[in-house]
Amino acid sequence: MSRVTFQSLILRLQSFWAERGCMIETPMDLEVGAGTMHPATYLRVLGPEPWNVAYVQPSRRPADGRYGENPFRLGKHYQFQVILKPSPLEVQEMYLDSLRAIGLDLTKHDIRFEEDNWESPTLGAWGVGWQILLDGMEITQFTYFQQAGGIDLAPISAEITYGLERLTMFLARESSVFDIEWGAGFGYGPVRQQDEFEFSKYYFETADVDMHWKLLDIYEGEARRCLDAKLVLPGYEWTLKCSHVFNTLDARGAVSVTERVGVIKRVRDLAVRCAGQFLQSREALGFPLMDRKIS
Amino acid sequence: MAEYFFELLVEEIPAWMHDAAKSALQEKLGKLVESLSVPADSSSVCINTTPRRIAFMLAKLPLREEDREQEVKGPPKKSAYAADGAPAPALIGFLKKNGAAVEDILDSTDEYVRIRRKIAGRETADMLQERIPEVIQSLRWPKMMRWGAGEHLYIRPIHSIISLLDGAHLPIEMFGIKSGTTTPGHRTLAPAPLEISSYNDYVTRLELARVVVDATRRRHVMAERARVLAAEVRGTPSIDAAIWSQWQYLSEYPGVVRAEFRPEYLALPEEVLVTVMRVHQKQLPIRGADGKLTNYFLAVLDNDGDPEGNAAYGNSFVTNARFADARFFYETDRRKTLAERVESLSHLQFQEKLGNYLDKTRRIERIATAICAAIKLDPAETGEAARLSKADLGTEMVKEFTDLQGRIGGIYAREEGKPDAVWQAIYDHYQPMNLDDALPRGLAGAVVSLADRMDTLTGFFAIGFKPTGSKDPFALRRAAQGVVQLLLNRDKREVKIGIDTLLALAIAAHGASASAAKDDLLAFFAERVRTILEASAWGFAYDEIAAAMESGWASSLTDLVDRIDALKGVRGDANFLSILDSAKRIANITAGHDSTQVEPALLTEPAEKRLNELAATVSDQIDDMIAERHYRMALESFAAMAPELETFFKDVMVNVGDEAVKTNRMSLLRKAGGAVMKIADVTKIVVDRRDYRS
Repeated sequence: MSRVTFQSLILRLQSFWAERGCMIETPMDLEVGAGTMHPATYLRVLGPEPWNVAYVQPSRRPADGRYGENPFRLGKHYQFQVILKPSPLEVQEMYLDSLRAIGLDLTKHDIRFEEDNWESPTLGAWGVGWQILLDGMEITQFTYFQQAGGIDLAPISAEITYGLERLTMFLARESSVFDIEWGAGFGYGPVRQQDEFEFSKYYFETADVDMHWKLLDIYEGEARRCLDAKLVLPGYEWTLKCSHVFNTLDARGAVSVTERVGVIKRVRDLAVRCAGQFLQSREALGFPLMDRKIS
Repeated sequence: MAEYFFELLVEEIPAWMHDAAKSALQEKLGKLVESLSVPADSSSVCINTTPRRIAFMLAKLPLREEDREQEVKGPPKKSAYAADGAPAPALIGFLKKNGAAVEDILDSTDEYVRIRRKIAGRETADMLQERIPEVIQSLRWPKMMRWGAGEHLYIRPIHSIISLLDGAHLPIEMFGIKSGTTTPGHRTLAPAPLEISSYNDYVTRLELARVVVDATRRRHVMAERARVLAAEVRGTPSIDAAIWSQWQYLSEYPGVVRAEFRPEYLALPEEVLVTVMRVHQKQLPIRGADGKLTNYFLAVLDNDGDPEGNAAYGNSFVTNARFADARFFYETDRRKTLAERVESLSHLQFQEKLGNYLDKTRRIERIATAICAAIKLDPAETGEAARLSKADLGTEMVKEFTDLQGRIGGIYAREEGKPDAVWQAIYDHYQPMNLDDALPRGLAGAVVSLADRMDTLTGFFAIGFKPTGSKDPFALRRAAQGVVQLLLNRDKREVKIGIDTLLALAIAAHGASASAAKDDLLAFFAERVRTILEASAWGFAYDEIAAAMESGWASSLTDLVDRIDALKGVRGDANFLSILDSAKRIANITAGHDSTQVEPALLTEPAEKRLNELAATVSDQIDDMIAERHYRMALESFAAMAPELETFFKDVMVNVGDEAVKTNRMSLLRKAGGAVMKIADVTKIVVDRRDYRS
């Protein structure tokens, strides 16, 4: 196969999952820490409606930034997220086929599924699953969602999250993320390293702490107002903003241990309300996706 | 004789759950086999698991259950027969229902008609069809999940079931899946379905399809491979039972790969390297002939080899990435000394009401210094260790590898050139983490560990956080257990101090308001002491512990152990009953009476005069023995007084009208028996008198 690039990987995964019956979504257009926070995952796993979706999600984790100096760590990385609801019994085989589709001969590699359960205190969500190790390296997080927003889920969704940079590095045999090729001859380093440096500098050293605490109050208030007005999707967006502000404050070292518990609870309370209200709103609409026709 | 074979194909079961699941299954299947009247021996139930499979074979089954007889109670005799003695409708109906005749009625002595009914044993096949799904579905896993539509709850989604009785398919159904006779081979190396006819067939066919069914064999294969791969680089794999017990359940086709990391990372502290490899990567370090770490390590494979070197590359890649981060942390951390870090602990909250870690550090130092004063230890080194004990909490290394807290501080202190006693005390002060864990290697470490734990316990109790039932979010039971373990120790690290003194020092460090928690804390410690002594290698019985604790425990736990040990020693002696009986009678008669002041002029009876003389000498001897902690001798001396006490009880009346005489006699009994009560309240010992008959 030709040189693996970041974009060739994305394109192959997208076409693979599109062929397996997934709708290809676009990334959430707000700062989120993971593909799970995209409404296409967090809200759509609720209730009885079927949902098969795949999308790339830029994921911002301010505290993971390393000024673009660490070859493995990034403050913003890209996830490829797949949701299959209900989880098909053959989902593991589908996943292995996706690895074959990106060019891996699995008889020549070591693939293992090791227990790794997932829990998000800010989302009131948890699931059971594995980290998937390719030749000893974690390339995917695989989760059977059990609860979201404190609500027991049925049917159950399978969530597959590929770490795109990791996988590209590994397939391209590069030892630094900044040495991989994004595509069309553009290098990931030249494209992104400045971004990593500036945002590390911002999140660790520059971000205005007082302003962010104020933003948290403002965003939280607006989220509540939206939810009170039964506008769940705007309410959820303001909740995501709260979450990012919290992550920024945390990276800035401005959140004490006690405050942390309090802020996490504030965000979780909003997220739990969003989940409950989303379910109600879908029910009021008669669960429109129940009669999806698969072509 | 029949053989039953079963396989459940599931998605990957967490490695750490296999052993417990196997023993639960062993027990359930053993009962099932026994219910067929076959004694279940080691060969009759054979269980194997792989990451994706739970398989078992039941051997030597009868073709059907044995017939049984059962007595059935019928109607009362009164209503069973008409006046002429003919069967009444109640009896006729009862017999008909049970398929019995009048001849089957038993001679019963009570007022009911009884018959004996024959129950034909079921075909083994029928029984298995009913019971196997029950057995599998009733297995409880530590964390269960739902999948798909969500109707079923199990460890992981179920894919297929094989159910064979003597080679023939015995249909069963569970989790919405009907059994069959095929199973796939290895997931990626040989996934085609295999037709299975028996257990032996299963083992053989799967082996050809790259699945080794037996976990022990997988482990042996991996262990041998690990040895060879390590020997190729003139090393040996680290001995690590925890890794091996995981590896055997992480692979169906056992293999091991050797990989390496960049040699420059060997400059990192060994503890960090080992933690990254073992805990984060489930890898096994390779040590050289000198016992030192090499830059080679081993990783598990679900394949018997790595011909293209992919797994070696991947494992090296990920381990180098981890070490790159670790080195970044290490270099960042070393820009500041531990002492420079102490003040910034004020930014790290310990508990809202108990302040930050700087507050905690100051209390630990204060308590540790006070302990040193109490045990006459120069406080310089212990105090410094206490002051630096929490400084590593602000390091990047501990933020990343939290389970290395304490040890990282110890390593950094060592690199700063602190004396052994100081860096070791920092390094060790979280020990013991559990009942099997080692104690700190020096006295300073033991003192800091005690001070830290006493501070935590006293603090949390003072603000009303006590563990209840299974809720113990701050691990206070473990903290108290550690205190008890430390105080039970008697070698060069023995901290000769009682829990009562420790509590007083900790309360002083927290301020007077904490003293309200004292009684609760004492009760909490008493419970830990009982639990630990009962579970200890000494093999003390509950009543021995309770009896000795009744005579005090909080001032010295090693003394408590000596007293329990004495009690345990004498309780089997022939004269123990006389110790017990005398003590009981004294306790009963003198309840509420404490004085041992005997007025000789008031003694009239010969028996009480003799007892008084004896008590005067023996009690003093016993007191001396107790002072020298010769508790067993003391108890035996008391036993020697027993005949005189018996005579006293026979000849002398204590409860007499003359109050002065009565009080005097009670004092005499106290004088004779009181010393023993300093060792233990022997009346708490439960005896079976038959054991003492000669």
